[in-house]
Amino acid sequence: MKLTKISTLLLSILFVAGCATTGNSPVVRGGENISYGDANAVETVTLDFGSTDLQSIAESMTRSLLQSDVIAKSKDRPLIRVDSIKNKTSEYIDTASITDSIRTQLTKSGSVRFAGNEQSAIDELNKQNQSGLYKKKKSNKIGAMEAPDYVLEGAISSIVKKSGSVKDVYYKFTLNLSGVGSNVLEWSDEKEIRKTKK
Amino acid sequence: MYKLILLLLLSCSAFAAGNNQNKVEYLGELKYLKVDKILSANKSLLKVQVELSNTSIDNQQLYYRFKWYDSDGFTVWNDEPWKTLLIYGKQRSTLSAVAPTKKATDYKIELQSPENRNNDKSNASPLTGN
Repeated sequence: MKLTKISTLLLSILFVAGCATTGNSPVVRGGENISYGDANAVETVTLDFGSTDLQSIAESMTRSLLQSDVIAKSKDRPLIRVDSIKNKTSEYIDTASITDSIRTQLTKSGSVRFAGNEQSAIDELNKQNQSGLYKKKKSNKIGAMEAPDYVLEGAISSIVKKSGSVKDVYYKFTLNLSGVGSNVLEWSDEKEIRKTKK
Repeated sequence: MYKLILLLLLSCSAFAAGNNQNKVEYLGELKYLKVDKILSANKSLLKVQVELSNTSIDNQQLYYRFKWYDSDGFTVWNDEPWKTLLIYGKQRSTLSAVAPTKKATDYKIELQSPENRNNDKSNASPLTGN
């Protein structure tokens, strides 16, 4: 009797497992048709700001900045602080995501360095030096921070027009690099994007 | 003599430009878009310029992206996002790109234009949405 119960349990487990996987491929599927796509594909699901816009802005700005005299002709890798990107459009755009992508690509290029999060660095330094919890010899000293040479800031704006069933969206992303000491605008570029729905 | 050397040099450079055609990876044969010329130069960062022409009188949508390799043939950058370019009827257009890092010494260009492929059987396209 016990043997029958165990075999029934084993069979039901096998049945459920059989439903969840498909054939001999390493995929667990449910009832719905879900699949992974290409994260680099051109996305035209709606007219709203999308992944392709973010990617193309980040790439275009990065490549342009890498060619600028400030970066290309610099002997040592300049230190940059990323300021905010103003969202002047009427829609919600995570502008920090754009600067994150730009910063990541520039860092990976190996041509520039970026200042880290200042507040978290101050908090950590204070903790190491003032709490008395850490070995003094191995603690990082206050007063050794490097000052950024340049600040990166920008804005994104849009013009939206609608007539009947036609809707047109124009985005303009502007990025500026200014010298901290000189307050001179050393480099600036913009990326334009047009999307139309008919 | 100088003229002969100049002629030889010119023919060499023309050959190099023609040879660049092997840098293009077509995702399906293009019917109306033709790659006319590819220029590349490596001064600090590798620069590439591709001249294209649309032989049709209709506008054509092109999808493209570059791949970057080091001197040993290894890829030096993640897959780039696909980019779009609208080429008007009978227009000549230019694609230009700069390598994302100094490590890049070689490149490949991926081109696709879903609406003007010869082999219409496949519906593969770097497009998400409608």
